Amino acid sequence: MEDLRFPNWITLAMGVTLVAMPWILPSLTLASEILVLATGALSCTLLLGSVGLLSFGQGLYFGLGAYVSAILIRDFAVGAMAATLAASVAGCLVAALAGLLIVRRQGVYFVMLTLAFAQMGFFLALAFPKLTGGENGFGNVTRTTVAFEQLPLSNPLLLYGFLALLCFGAFAFVQRIIASPFGSVLNAIRHNDSRAEALGYDVRRFKLAAITIAGGIAALSGAMNTLLLSFVPLSAIDVESSERLLIASLIGGVGSPLGAFIGAAVLSAMSDFLSPIWPRWSTIVAVLLIVTVLFLRDGLLGLGRILRRRPKDALNG
Amino acid sequence: MADPLLIARGLGVRFGSFQAISDLDLSVSLGALHSVIGPNGAGKTTLFNALSGTRRPTQGEIRFRGLPITNVPACRRVHLGLSRSFQLTNIFRDLSVAENISLALQAVAGREAWAFWRARDPSRVSRDRAAELAQTVGLASRFEARAGDLSHGAQRALEIAMALSSDPKLLFLDEPLAGMGLDDVHRTKLLIRRLAPERTVVLIEHNMSVVLDISDTITVLAQGRKIAEGSPQQIRSNAEVKNAYLGSAA
Repeated sequence: MEDLRFPNWITLAMGVTLVAMPWILPSLTLASEILVLATGALSCTLLLGSVGLLSFGQGLYFGLGAYVSAILIRDFAVGAMAATLAASVAGCLVAALAGLLIVRRQGVYFVMLTLAFAQMGFFLALAFPKLTGGENGFGNVTRTTVAFEQLPLSNPLLLYGFLALLCFGAFAFVQRIIASPFGSVLNAIRHNDSRAEALGYDVRRFKLAAITIAGGIAALSGAMNTLLLSFVPLSAIDVESSERLLIASLIGGVGSPLGAFIGAAVLSAMSDFLSPIWPRWSTIVAVLLIVTVLFLRDGLLGLGRILRRRPKDALNG
Repeated sequence: MADPLLIARGLGVRFGSFQAISDLDLSVSLGALHSVIGPNGAGKTTLFNALSGTRRPTQGEIRFRGLPITNVPACRRVHLGLSRSFQLTNIFRDLSVAENISLALQAVAGREAWAFWRARDPSRVSRDRAAELAQTVGLASRFEARAGDLSHGAQRALEIAMALSSDPKLLFLDEPLAGMGLDDVHRTKLLIRRLAPERTVVLIEHNMSVVLDISDTITVLAQGRKIAEGSPQQIRSNAEVKNAYLGSAA
């Protein structure tokens, strides 16, 4: 049974880890990449782990958040705080609109609709190069300040600190949701949605709410990506972007928000260490994903749990 | 006769080319224990699904407390005072008995279910109330047990507890005794009898001795149509019913 208190020791451990990461990891860029991916993966963890909804389209909101924040910062000289906030709101709005249609279907059709919306987003980005930079990407995003011309993000440590704060905020928010009455309904829907409906829960509305929140979180991570790169590549909104978020959450384990962080850390670290040595390093990710899906349904997080339980089982058996 | 609480008029449900229920009139009196019986495939569960909102009827209308509810979805009907249990046990197997009942209580605790910024509010969804409901159906000693680990009879009892959580005016019980052991059957029978007349109960059940024993009114379905209705005595002596149903069993 998952620890359903908030804040709990995981919240604390997450805070400590985020503070310690710049000193443990070889580069600040890697640490920052982990934050971005972890935040994006959280949106998949919330959908899949809590409500049991598989979304192949979170990259749409990631890309949307990336473009919205980039446009606001470069063309409207908006500060980083306001830009990330606006990007998240945009993500929520678009997710709510798409969700209205998506929640009408279940199972495979649900998944296909999320994929279709993501594809549509990609082609829209391609179709409006004036707005998005098209294939060349959206460049020259200025290194802005957090807010009110204070705390310049050109300082790498300050940038990391700001991203860490956003990531921690999203993490704590998801933990808070899971341990709330609303979270208990999402959990009930995942376990048995016909029963939840018969008890009097409007299952579609709860799903829609979860999709809206997840869209906001994915858009937040897209905005964080813009702050980190000062650039939005077209790949921010392609299907592979959706895939990355989903794979990170699956490898880490969707049973807890901690899984999103672990999955993101493993994936980013592998990319960082392996890509210079072996250009086909993503093969390993594929193998890791297969192993996770076949043998570790709770991801790497579940592996930790299995290893911890072993000695006890040996005693009982 | 008391006022009808639920009225169905000209109800029809069609699956493709198969007419599961046709032109059915049903009137359930306030405070009655009203049973619906009939051979397999008579359309009993389909009727339940239409009345409780899981399946939209293709014809006819349903009124509950005078309100038309034909197109009201199942989750909304719960808030109007209708509740149901399922023929195939439908519970949250991985959650405890306490959590199962609490979820049912929370569903009707106003806006509590939408609170995402705080922990559960014990004044809205109280553990005491959940324990009380578990007590009612005889599950007090298994309150913390995982629902999936309960015996079949206990799971059926949990179904009833969850259906009772919304404090319904009208309760649909779909074969609550199915697969139960003798002791459980007797206990559940007494429990169901005690529910009325405080609540109105509509019961589908195959156990004829129980149905004839506890019902106030019995409606007999065969092939999607109502073939008889009346008190247990009337049904017992009805020739058509004997033919269609009791005869085939005897």
